[in-house]
Amino acid sequence: MSRFEAKKPSLCKTEPLTSEKVRFTLSVLKGILASCYGPSGRLKQLHNGLGGCVCTTSQSSALLRNLSVTHPVLKVLTASVQNHVSCFSDCGLFTAILCCNLIENIQKIGLTPTKVIKLNKYLLGLCTSYLKSEACSCRIPVDFSSTHIFLGLVRSILTSKPACMLTRKEADHISALILKAFLLTIPESAEDRVILGKSIIVPLKGQRVIDSAVLPGLLIEISEVQLRLLPTQKSSALKVALFCVSLSGDFSNAGEGTVVVPYQVSLENAVLEQLLNLGRQLVGDQVDLVLCQKVIHPSLKQFLSEHHIIAIDRVGVTLMEPLSKVTGATPIGSLNTIASTTYGSVKDLSSARFGSKHFFHLIPNEATVCSLLLCSRNDTAWEELKLTCQTAMHVLQLTIKEPWVLLGGGCTETHLAAYIRHKVHNEAEDVVREDGYSQAELRIATEAFCSALESVASSLEHDGGDILIDMKYGHFWSGQSDSASVVNWQDMLSRCGCGLYNSQEGLSWSFLRSTYHPFAPQKCLSQAAVGTASNLTVDCFTAKLSGLQVAIETANLILDLSYVIEDKN
Amino acid sequence: MASLGSVTAALRVTEVLEAIASRCVGPEGGQVLCTKPTGEVLLSRDGGRLLEALHVEHPLARMIVSCVSSHLKKTGDGAKTFIIFLCHLLRGLHAIREKDSFTSENTQTHQRHWKNCCQWKCISQALLTFQTQILDCIVDQFLSRHYLSVFSSSAKGWTVCRRSVESLLEAYFCGRVGRNNCRFISQLMCDYVFKCMDHESVVEGLELVDNCFLELNVGVTGLPVSDSRIVDGLVLHRDFSVYCPADGDIKMVMVTEVLQPPFSSSKSEFVLDSEAQFQASQCWIVERTKAVMKHLQSQNIKLLLSSVKQPDLVSYCARLHSISVVECLSSEEVSLVQRITGLLPCVLPQVPSQGEISDTTLVKFCKPLILRSKRYVHLGLVSTCAFIPHCVVLCAPVLGLVQQHESAFRGAFKMLQQLFTDLDLNYIIQTNAQRDSSPLACNNSRECSRPPEIGKYQDVIVKSENKLENTQTHSKAYSNVVASDTELKTRVTWSAHKETPLDTSQTNVILKCLSPEKNWVISDCELLVGSNPTGNPTAEDTRTEMSYDNVQVTSHPGKGCTLPVMYKSLEACTSLSYYCSSTLPAGCVLPVGGNFEILLHYYLVNYAKQCQQSAEATVSMLIANALLGIPKTLYKPKNGKDSFPQIYMRSLHALQTCQPMVSGQSGLEPVAGKYQLIASVIQCLAKILTVDLVINIKRQPQKIGDQDSEDELEH
Repeated sequence: MSRFEAKKPSLCKTEPLTSEKVRFTLSVLKGILASCYGPSGRLKQLHNGLGGCVCTTSQSSALLRNLSVTHPVLKVLTASVQNHVSCFSDCGLFTAILCCNLIENIQKIGLTPTKVIKLNKYLLGLCTSYLKSEACSCRIPVDFSSTHIFLGLVRSILTSKPACMLTRKEADHISALILKAFLLTIPESAEDRVILGKSIIVPLKGQRVIDSAVLPGLLIEISEVQLRLLPTQKSSALKVALFCVSLSGDFSNAGEGTVVVPYQVSLENAVLEQLLNLGRQLVGDQVDLVLCQKVIHPSLKQFLSEHHIIAIDRVGVTLMEPLSKVTGATPIGSLNTIASTTYGSVKDLSSARFGSKHFFHLIPNEATVCSLLLCSRNDTAWEELKLTCQTAMHVLQLTIKEPWVLLGGGCTETHLAAYIRHKVHNEAEDVVREDGYSQAELRIATEAFCSALESVASSLEHDGGDILIDMKYGHFWSGQSDSASVVNWQDMLSRCGCGLYNSQEGLSWSFLRSTYHPFAPQKCLSQAAVGTASNLTVDCFTAKLSGLQVAIETANLILDLSYVIEDKN
Repeated sequence: MASLGSVTAALRVTEVLEAIASRCVGPEGGQVLCTKPTGEVLLSRDGGRLLEALHVEHPLARMIVSCVSSHLKKTGDGAKTFIIFLCHLLRGLHAIREKDSFTSENTQTHQRHWKNCCQWKCISQALLTFQTQILDCIVDQFLSRHYLSVFSSSAKGWTVCRRSVESLLEAYFCGRVGRNNCRFISQLMCDYVFKCMDHESVVEGLELVDNCFLELNVGVTGLPVSDSRIVDGLVLHRDFSVYCPADGDIKMVMVTEVLQPPFSSSKSEFVLDSEAQFQASQCWIVERTKAVMKHLQSQNIKLLLSSVKQPDLVSYCARLHSISVVECLSSEEVSLVQRITGLLPCVLPQVPSQGEISDTTLVKFCKPLILRSKRYVHLGLVSTCAFIPHCVVLCAPVLGLVQQHESAFRGAFKMLQQLFTDLDLNYIIQTNAQRDSSPLACNNSRECSRPPEIGKYQDVIVKSENKLENTQTHSKAYSNVVASDTELKTRVTWSAHKETPLDTSQTNVILKCLSPEKNWVISDCELLVGSNPTGNPTAEDTRTEMSYDNVQVTSHPGKGCTLPVMYKSLEACTSLSYYCSSTLPAGCVLPVGGNFEILLHYYLVNYAKQCQQSAEATVSMLIANALLGIPKTLYKPKNGKDSFPQIYMRSLHALQTCQPMVSGQSGLEPVAGKYQLIASVIQCLAKILTVDLVINIKRQPQKIGDQDSEDELEH
């Protein structure tokens, strides 16, 4: 008998955003996220106070995964940022901060939700169409003939994650490795559809970061004992058999009926006999290396090693696909006969030792799989570094698909804000005629939108420096002002956020927080400037564009809420 | 503990619900965020879900909620309007009681309560009578002349007009999804409907989509909503177990059992005599599996769908024979594939290796589809039914939003399904002599103004009531009518809203629906120019518009057979009691924004004026006044020209002067849904009024019946 319990009535709250508590929690969340943003962002230490592991991070994915928010409105916000990050890996903090800023700003202006939502959507449309247009001057096409931009992209990602604890030299080393690993995954002969390979991150904790390395092919960790079994080197390519069935001699699929086995019949022997037959076939086929996803029976192993066949078992399901790719072998699912077409080959097999670990290194003839041996001295930094490497790999893949990058270091945000301000200033009449809102309303909403974008950029500055925008390109500049008096900006500033322009070009500046007169930021990015700039900070185009859209859609969604119903059961 | 179940109590409860519903209703309404006990966050503007999420405690409120959900099951729309309308009805009743209570002040409270209850019982009866008799009558006789239709005529026959469906869906999604996305989602839905539906049987296709929408959509979180799209073919929510790229047409089979022969079959005993026998049987199994796969390959089959997990051996053999395998299909997916392609699962192990496999079908393509780094199987199925397979990829930043859009889609399918089916109306007209001098001025004037036509109409309508079986009689009916058209052309001064081509198109649709060969053709055609008489034209240019209408009318000779209503109302004048059965034809729509409510209000007030029985008149007035509550709520945030009093006055003026009503909004809503909503609310109210006492008990009310009846059968 089941027990019935009356359901408790739910709690229904009107207009959640008007509540002081919600506003406060929202601003706390924003504070946490904004202080993590950028290369000089502050780190957060997350621990549960009960002796669990401590996580030091400044990445949105690690932060939001561990942060437990209780208010439903915040749950929507964090969920949407997390979903964005799991799609694109990058720009999570950007999305979150922009969304918080926008909600905050819009609450101050007091327009009705319907109008604000419409206007935000219109402004978002302006942004996306500008960013996708040819005229966009904060977007750089990727030059595939040089590594210049790719390296800039990877380095921007690495430097914006201070919890990796990398020195400048180490950052350079790691970014070169990541780029190398990525290039190894690109197939050499491109057909109509390019299928990228995979780079596998192999952990090696306790070593110096500088010892990290990229190796083509696969590394399979083994024990020291197994290492001794390695036979003499063979000059030609090695023949590989890859099994996905268990070779342990278990008999699992007996069917649904009853199997009666008389006393004198030994199934174990029968199965073992079968396995040894298989072994004989492998020997006959001159196989050099047997890899098995599951367990190999010790007797079979013994048999194989007697015949100078290397047997590696318990490879695990995650390695099966890369193994099949590296060797070109088809995973074998039968114990009986093996078709000769299923065998693959590797160029060479060697044993390698990194730190205290031993590996078999499968060197392929030609494959798109590589291993990134990632070293770091401590666990938390390694976790952070691993996440960062994955992000960088993913971003590189996205960039291959959409070959553009956006200027980083806050320049895209300020430039975009300047563009929108100017556009609305000049074309307000046309817009208003189409939709049902007044010019004043459009101006107010634009101001809220643009200042939300600009405050994302200004979140990059954590040390109390001055934040400026130049009146020609609309780029972001920050610098330490030592005196309150009027300073010579030209001398104080050196380069803009993305590093494209320097301060000696006869520019004029304005404080970002002050209101400046709308101006048209210069269009047409000069290729010469891009070519000469050595250390460009750039962001992933795809991730940032989607982040922008998600941030504004989420803000609109939250602004649209008129009730929160909490189920109290 | 007991509490009085009175109108006051019900009103108090409903007012709370109304306060919530009125904030979310209509295009200006906001979203509701619901959290589940599991911590999941759900976004919704669906009134039904909202009411459920509240977990209301009061028994009357629970009753109301269950009434709403049973209404939703039927129509899929109108939960919030339900609450608002109910609340206004209760307010009206409460006001009546307040008036009455002055008369019997000195009686004891409790006694008065009982007395009241008796009155309520009477009112409840009157309400039910109203719903079953008068409402149908009014809807059929008076309202029908204002209907627009989503069908339009073209060279190919009657077609579903894309523009109308668009505005219908836009109005629907305005109330269902967030303000941010409603236009985009309604456009997506419209595209989907027009891409998926076959030209012949829309209803059948809609039914399939409604049943299987879970399998026909893929939710992706983390992407902006604007990335949502429609993909051709079917997307299965899993990856290939074995994928072998293949080009061109691909032959496919579906199996529901493991292809590898079992070592021992169930309910049997397998006695192993020797080790050799064991090895031999293992060998046989392998050989057998290989033979099956080889056989499949020899039949040129490249794709194997399986509802069960296949052993490693099968995958291995499939890979060797370059057959792609998809495993673990849910039973819903299997039945969907069956419904689309007509493919039956084939029983392979029994098939002799030489025989032809008959249960195969061709797919146009079969490839992996990657959405947000997750792989799906994408099949280009070739349809043999009314549904052309397409899937919707619904993207949103959060899961709650994906779910909201999904459920809004499902609701919209339900709504469309209802729109495309006829609704039966039955009522009895108890006429009396006074009815001839009906106070409905325009009705009267019309009848007087055109005596010569009536005879012809009768001719036509008798035929149509006899359920036109073939097109021949149909065309005969037309030929009868053409003559009257020429007459009509000259009479431009004549009231516009009756003789609009819309009316006629709709009548023709009835005829079509009755005839066995339903040939609705979907096309992207534009709305007929004159087919929106109550829509855009303003009062000033009605005249020109009217003449235009009539010109338009003559261009297609379906015009003359106006609604059966016409005929019936005439009949009503002569006979004393007349039993009517009529239909609300498929595809009837009205502009949104309280149009239906104001119209019904107007005709109910008119009806009440000429009504002799006081109870009937009271009930009609009560409902008429409560109806206005809906547009009042809808227009609350508007002011100036768009405020409710202005709109109301303009509409009334238009109705009195027989001009087309002006509506500020472009959306449309189905009449059938609205009609059913009114009926459901009245039934719910009648139910509430019959309760006089609410008694709180500690146990579950015991179920009566089942067991006893079984016992009786045994004796």
